[in-house]
This record gives sequence, C-alpha cells and structure tokens, in this order.
Amino acid sequence: MSVRVPRRCGTHGVTTIWKGPVMATITIKNVWKYYGDTAAVKHLDITCPDGSFVSILGPSGCGKSSTMRMLAGLEHISSGDIFFDDLRINDLAPKDRDVAMVFENYALYPHKSVFENIANPLRLRKTEEKAIKERVEAAARLLEIDHLLDRRPHELSGGQKQRVAIGRAIVRQPKLFLFDEPIAHLDAKLRAHMRGEIKHLQRELGTTMIYVTHDQLEALSMADYIAVMHDGELQQWGTPSEIFNHPVNAWVAGFVGEPAMNFLTCDVIGEGDSVSLRHRNFDIPLLPQQVRQLNGGAAAGRARMGVRPDALDIALERPGGPSITGEIFVNELLGGDMLVEVALADTRVRVKTTPEFTGKPGQTCHLTVNRDKWHVFDTTDGHAYF
Amino acid sequence: MTEATHFGKEGAFRLAGDLFRAREHSTEVEARPISDPKPRPTSFNPPAPKRYYLYLMAPAIAILAFISLYPFFWLIVLSLQDVDIGGGEWVGFKNYARLLQDPRFKDGWILLLQYSAMCLGLQLTIGMILAVIVNNSKYEKFLVTALLMPMMMAPAVAGLLWLFLYNGTFGWYHWIFQSIGLLDSASILATPGTALYGIVLVDVWQWTPLITLIALAGLKRVPRDQLEANMVDGASPMRNFFAITLPNLYPVLLIAVLLRFMDNFRFIDHILVLTGGGPGSATKILPVYLFEVAFKFFKLGRGAAIALTLLIVTIVLGMILVRVFDKPKSGRT
Ligand SMILES: Nc1ncnc2c1ncn2[C@@H]1O[C@H](COP(=O)(O)OP(=O)(O)OP(=O)(O)O)[C@@H](O)[C@H]1O
Ligand SMILES: [Mg+2]
Repeated sequence: MSVRVPRRCGTHGVTTIWKGPVMATITIKNVWKYYGDTAAVKHLDITCPDGSFVSILGPSGCGKSSTMRMLAGLEHISSGDIFFDDLRINDLAPKDRDVAMVFENYALYPHKSVFENIANPLRLRKTEEKAIKERVEAAARLLEIDHLLDRRPHELSGGQKQRVAIGRAIVRQPKLFLFDEPIAHLDAKLRAHMRGEIKHLQRELGTTMIYVTHDQLEALSMADYIAVMHDGELQQWGTPSEIFNHPVNAWVAGFVGEPAMNFLTCDVIGEGDSVSLRHRNFDIPLLPQQVRQLNGGAAAGRARMGVRPDALDIALERPGGPSITGEIFVNELLGGDMLVEVALADTRVRVKTTPEFTGKPGQTCHLTVNRDKWHVFDTTDGHAYF
Repeated sequence: MTEATHFGKEGAFRLAGDLFRAREHSTEVEARPISDPKPRPTSFNPPAPKRYYLYLMAPAIAILAFISLYPFFWLIVLSLQDVDIGGGEWVGFKNYARLLQDPRFKDGWILLLQYSAMCLGLQLTIGMILAVIVNNSKYEKFLVTALLMPMMMAPAVAGLLWLFLYNGTFGWYHWIFQSIGLLDSASILATPGTALYGIVLVDVWQWTPLITLIALAGLKRVPRDQLEANMVDGASPMRNFFAITLPNLYPVLLIAVLLRFMDNFRFIDHILVLTGGGPGSATKILPVYLFEVAFKFFKLGRGAAIALTLLIVTIVLGMILVRVFDKPKSGRT
C-alpha cells in the first residue's frame, strides 16, 4: 500500500461548509450502570470542558462502551445524571441529544451504499441535496474513501468500514462526538495517519469529543484529558502528561506506558530524613522531598517501587552512586532502542537503552535509577505516594 | 425414472457395484501422508461422477414423480375430456372455451382476488402491529401462546365456531355488529353485500397469528446496532421502523405472504362450512366454484380445467412475489 499521507489539504473541505463551532460542556455526575446485578460503571464523575478532546482509556470490559452508550441515549442510566451544558439529558431520546457516534462494530446499513450511509444523518435532518453531496464528498475525501462511495458495506474491508462509520459521524456538526475505538481495525500506518486527522478535525471544528480507546498510545497522543477506567471505576482524570508522569496508583502506572513500568516490592528502611528502599539487589535512598511525600506512610515497612524502563540506566561497570545489580537476561532490539531484560533475585526488570549497549546475556550489570522519575506505591491499596 | 422403476435384480447389482466403486474412488482421494493426521475437509475431494448422484436421488425422484407428476399430467388429460360417471369422452379444448364464456368463472376469479387481497392486507398489517407490540413485551411468552390458539383449530371447526358467533339470533359477534350499527337484523353471512367480509374476518382471525409469529422471528434478528446507529443519526422510532426494521423483515414477510396467498387459493373449508358459496354467489370464490363443478355437478373435466388455470395463476403470482420481495438489496454486514 502506498503511504497514506494526506494528498489534499485535509479538513478544509469539510470545515468550510460548517458554521461556527457548536460545543458543549459534558458533565457526568455520579453515574452508575447496572446490567442486572452487575455494575458495569460505578460512580463515574467526569467533566469534559467545552471543545475538549477527552479520551476514555481502559482495558477490555471496563465499561467504556457502556459509558458511551449512556451518553448517546442507547442505554438507560441506572443512577446519576448527565448534563450537556445545563441541560439534563437523562431522559432525552437519542435523536434529540445531537450527538454523533462511531460504533465499535461500525453498525453500517448493509442495504445502503457508502454514500447513503454517510448521508444518513443529513437526510434525517432534511438537508438539501446539494449540501448533502458536498459534505459527503468532502468527508469521504478526508477519509480517503471517495472512490468507494458507490459500494455497499459488505464490499468493504474492516478498515474501510470503520472509515465510513467515521464519515457518518463527521458529516454533520453535532454538539458532541462519541468515538468508540474508531480506528482499532486499521493497519498501523493508517492508524497513525487517522490519529492525526481526527485530532486535527476536532481542533478545527472545536466540537467536544469523547474518544474511547484501549490503546494508551492513542490516548496519550491525541487527548487533552484522559479518563483512565478500570473495572467500571474512574481511576484517574488528567492531562496525558499528568497520567504518564504522575499516576495516582499502581494500576494506572502499570497500564499506561509502553514498555510497561517495572514494579519491585521493597522494604522501607530508616526514619527521619534518610529513608531508603531496600531490596536484595539494592538499597537506594529517597530524595528529601520524597521522604516528605512518603510522610511516614508504608508503615508496615514495605512498598512497591515503580520505575519506567526509560528512567533506568544500564552499565556494565559499577557506577558511583547507588545502583541495582543484576544479570542480563535477554536483549531485544526495538528499532532505534534496545530493551534489556535484567534478572534480579525475585523478578525481572526491563531497561531501555541505546543499541550501542554491548552487554551480553549472562553478564552482570548495574542499573542506575533516575530518582526524579521513580514512584512509590502502597502495597495494600496501591495508591501512589509520589 | 425408468432406471429407478424398472431395475430388476441385475439393475440392483449394477447399482450396488457403482456405489461401491464410488466409495473406492473417494477413499483413494482421502489417502494422505501419515504426518497429516487430520482428515481434510470433504470439499477438497473432487466431485463424484454425476451418475453416482443420480443413483442416490433416484428413489426420491421416483416417489416424487409418482405422487406429484403423475396426478398433474392426469389432470391435464382430464381437462381435455368430458368426464361423467361412466367414463370420459375426448373433447379437446372445449372445456377451456366454455370457461371463457362462463360468467361464474370470471366472478369466481374476481371474488378470489378480492378475498385474497383483503385477507393478505389485513393479516399483514395487523400481524405486523401485533408482532411489534408482542416483541420484548413483559408478557411475550404468554402472548405468543395465546396467539397460537386460533391456528391450532381445524379450519372447519373454526368455521363452525364462527357460524355460531355470526348467528343472527344468538350470535355474540352479530350482537356487537348490530349494536355498533354495522348491521341490521340479518347475519353478516346472510347478506350478499357483507358475506365476503364475514369470511375474510374468519380467515384473518385464524391466520393473522401466523404472520405475527413469522414477523416476530424476523424482528428478533433485526440487527440492533443498525437501529441504534440510525437513532443516533437522528431517526424517530417510526422512521427507524421503516428505514431499518422493515427492510430487514422483507425476507421473512415474503415467506409469510407466499404461504398465506397460496392458502387463500387452496383452503375453502371455512367457506364451505359458513356459506357454501352463498348467499347467491356472494362468496363463491374460484376454488369454491371448482369444488361445486367437480364434486357437486361431477363435471370432472371442467373442474380439471378450472383447477389448471388456478394452478398456473398461483405459480405465476408466486414467482412475481418472489421477484418483487427479493429485490430489496439483500446483504449482511
Ligand atoms: N447488554 C449487556 N448485558 C450485560 N452485561 C453487559 C452488557 N453490555 C456490557 N456488559 C458488561 O459490562 C461490562 C462493561 O462492558 P463495556 O462494553 O462497557 O466494556 P468496554 O470497556 O467497552 O470493553 P471493550 O474494550 O471490550 O469494548 C462488561 O463486563 C460486560 O460484560
Ligand atoms: Mg467497548
């Protein structure tokens, strides 16, 4: 396949036919969703500011789609309220909510052509024929499916169907975009391209967007705010850098970031101003402000240290400062980086380094921790001390 | 057919031999390297010789020929004769020529088409509405069971039941019709102007549930995601029904319509019980007339001619229906 770089000047065709931005602040207040007795969404509180790009990030089955469906009006809200600006929309029919949704499973109309699929929301709003044609074609050009307009959905590939579904959402200007894993079925290159396009489109339109994904890279690269969900509960709300650099608990820290964060259970030793984390392979003191942040916590004397692979430095000679001693287990070359897996007494940690690193499996090595970037979590409830 | 009907001992042996060879042939193809323990899908086998299939189907074809083709050709032959108790006399196309001049034949057709159209229209509309109401209602199971009852009744019994309900002196329905001013003292079946409606009502009562059941099965497989997408796109429930539900129901509705329309052309039990074609000829739809000609006046030749025209029209109409309904761009996601 050829490189999917936008050949034309992307969104301009679409945006010029729209009037000024239509947006809304979306407030989700203590919302619960029960299927029978099982709660799929628990006390969810989210406020998406006007015109923001919010990503809901979480593993499969954590209640992302349920949340979207409640926003779209397809699922009854078991308890709690949802507001679009000041309007409580709990009891509003889907057609009166003025949202556009991209469904996880495309949900195209099999008996309609691609053109009619995309045109459907406009037809239902009695748009005039000329505008329909213009907008559908502009949306199709943007999504690079303009050569498929006469086909029927069953004649399309998964990625093409997904783009038709996106087209159907962006062809009109709603108050809120709901994108449920809209590009999960595209190939890597097209996905990267669509990430940019969707982000750009949202910027241009200024329409509030809620974007569901289980791909943390998508969330981190596109969103203004990320809501991390797990087991139906909101774990953390914040900007991508807050989520990445200051995870509120071990679960978020482990879920966000690729390659994943290393966790080591350590003893917390010392009192007063000098506290250190001790493990069979190391004994490293905390920085002074971190001692304050720990603030006598981890009283049982144990804590989980978390450190990302790129906050570790690997060397074959013992460095000057405190370090972790281990044995190289395996080297993986990942394009421009090298990932070294190092065996410690009870676990393994992964370290990101440069391909120039010469260590061989079996050799003893020494890891230096960038202590500005490490984290300490509680062993019982997993919350982060810093 | 000849092979199937006439094979004696020798033929049977030949058949067995061929079958055996066909088996040999197929095991040969199935031979595979020991390293590949899984049997391959059978579709990888080359097709067996055509003859083999013919042998396998021969008994079924023979039986089918005997029970359906033979009477059919006999019917054609019969329609070209003037048959009486004693025997037949060859008359060529005279039976058909007489039909063309027979006003009761023409009236029979008109009545049949009216009757069939009314039945189908009402049954489809009411059946669909009922299906939508019953679908996903709290009492779905109970309602479906209740709906099944009229269908389980023999048509003649249903006719008898309604004969009582329509009765001009003590019929309950008659009393209702009378009290809402639809009828005066005469029963609905006793007046030429209304008798056909009376018949239609019985058919609708008995067979609407069938449409409901079929439509209900269809409703269950209407893709929910499409309904939801259309709702978010801005469709009202009504539009959603016509834009998504109905097109998805076409295939099952086709079956329902085909079944019912052919039944209307064939089943006259309840008419015979209720009116016997009367008053006058007000309910003498073509099959009733056919029954009269063939079995009351015993003009078997003329009856056969009527039956054949009925058959041909049924087949042609059926084919047109299939064409029209099958069009709506079938397809799945
Ligand atoms: N209609 C339903 N009836 C019963 N349980 C449901 C229903 N829909 C979802 N669930 C359950 O609710 C939970 C959340 O489902 P949901 O579809 O919101 O997950 P998700 O985060 O979108 O997952 P994925 O990433 O796989 O799409 C799951 O455990 C699921 O089994
Ligand atoms: Mg989902």
